[in-house]
Amino acid sequence: MICSVVLAHMASAPGDPIDLFIPGLCQPVSKQAAQEASEDAGLVTAAQDGDRAAFGRLHDRYARMVHGVLLAKVPFQEVNDLVQDVFLTALRRLRTLRAPESFGAWLAAIARNRASDYHRHSLPEDPLGDDDMTTLQLAVANGADEDPNLASKVLEVIKSLPDAYRETLVLRLVEGMTGPEIAARMQMTPGSVRVNLHRGMQQLRAKLSRSMHPSRQETP
Amino acid sequence: MDLEKKTAEKPLSERTDEYLWDKSGEPNPEILRLETLLTRFQHDRPAPVFPEIVPGARRRSFPVRLRWLMASASMAVVALLVMMAVVIYRNNQIPFAVAGWNVSRQVGSAHISSGLGQVLETDKRSRVTLRDEDVGQIDVDPGTRLRWLNKRDDLEWMVLDRGTIHALIWAPPGQFVVDTPSAMTVDLGCAYTLQVDSSGAGLVRTSLGWVGFKLNGRESFIPAGAACRTRPKVGPGSAYFEDASANFIAALARFDFDDTTPEQRATDLAVVLNESRNRDALTLWHLLSRADPSQRLLVYERLRLLAPPKAGVTQQGILRLDRSMLDQWWNELGFADISIWRHWERSWSATNRAVGPK
Repeated sequence: MICSVVLAHMASAPGDPIDLFIPGLCQPVSKQAAQEASEDAGLVTAAQDGDRAAFGRLHDRYARMVHGVLLAKVPFQEVNDLVQDVFLTALRRLRTLRAPESFGAWLAAIARNRASDYHRHSLPEDPLGDDDMTTLQLAVANGADEDPNLASKVLEVIKSLPDAYRETLVLRLVEGMTGPEIAARMQMTPGSVRVNLHRGMQQLRAKLSRSMHPSRQETP
Repeated sequence: MDLEKKTAEKPLSERTDEYLWDKSGEPNPEILRLETLLTRFQHDRPAPVFPEIVPGARRRSFPVRLRWLMASASMAVVALLVMMAVVIYRNNQIPFAVAGWNVSRQVGSAHISSGLGQVLETDKRSRVTLRDEDVGQIDVDPGTRLRWLNKRDDLEWMVLDRGTIHALIWAPPGQFVVDTPSAMTVDLGCAYTLQVDSSGAGLVRTSLGWVGFKLNGRESFIPAGAACRTRPKVGPGSAYFEDASANFIAALARFDFDDTTPEQRATDLAVVLNESRNRDALTLWHLLSRADPSQRLLVYERLRLLAPPKAGVTQQGILRLDRSMLDQWWNELGFADISIWRHWERSWSATNRAVGPK
């Protein structure tokens, strides 16, 4: 009961498309998300029975999510190959998936594991220096496009945020998914996605402005 | 119209939050700028050609109710198995503890009587390990009968009627006492194996520390690596190192226990003396009190050659079996400090005279 109230409060801002609540699971979902989950479960079952086209449709639906999860952790130039690896791994292990409706969360877990594997076998990346941060903030604020590496630098700042925020922000800002889409694909509550987006943006702004105003503290 | 009015009434931050959430509110220029900037990293690859999917026996997902039913059934089966194990265990009369010793391991079935004077009996195929955190561990071999006589904080007293036990004792010296039909075994800080056969004859073999063997004033001390035999009505023989020659050990056994002719007895003593090495001073010291007065001088002379005594130990004193001289010489042999034994004897006589094996 407490759980449902808290989640409803977190996720029930005006206009929030929450109109269905599954008791017991403590997980509010939209009708659209529930319908998509049901369709996905059907595709998963069909793929488990050998339907390659069904797995292709699952790829179309989830490729951006997998791409975003990986991009939040590994260098951009490696991501496309890893996306393919993740889907091939999922294909090999599909028979072991007991609950087809959990495909999204299961796939995200495979992607996160693959990213961790990548880091175990690669050299650490260079963090951004203070000079980079200053240039970056000025460039973003002024809308300047002169620096061809600006996008990479912004992405690196996002990747320096805590796991939950960077993954959600990459899915929203890079992959162009909406909050409800992220929640539906990742099998997260809309409330927690909303919180992650909000706090993630706050931290991103703080990181970008910190180089201009060193005395400011980051928002926790 | 109403919706437009409501939207217009929202503060700017809330309206831009909506855009961040589902792109429905007023676009936030900063977020738009980030989206534009980062769009180049967006996923844009078509689906690859996936290999054939070989349909197999996939794991079926059971409904929640069925899962609960299966879990409950599994738990019921486990509970049933546990109950069966307990029933079988009780039918075999194997308690979890015997006279305060925990049964830490059991192979096969064993009989344990309850109440005072508890008895543990193992059959031809069973083994039991007993453990008392304050005393030590006893491994009981098949075909063994072990009785408990007394248990106090400072004494663990039992009787090995027959069979074999392996004792590893960490209680202070003198607190773990095992009677046999032919001698009393006193742990003096050690690990040892004690065997008693159907005739009541026994054998103790020490692997660590030392053990005292005693019956009717006849005593033997068995350090690590040594052994000692006992016979009913005779008591403990002379301790000997197990790496002594076979002739030495056989002659010693005849000398200690067999009712032979005086000539044979003299011959056996001669073999023991002739084949004794320096470390066999252990055996010769024991023989001093077991040899006839006429033979004692021979033993003394040989022992004096192997381990010359220091001042205070005289030939005359040894020949008349002076206790203090014998003890001093024993201590000089370097196997153990006999004062521990003497202290235990005094304490034992004072507190346990009235109690003994039946």
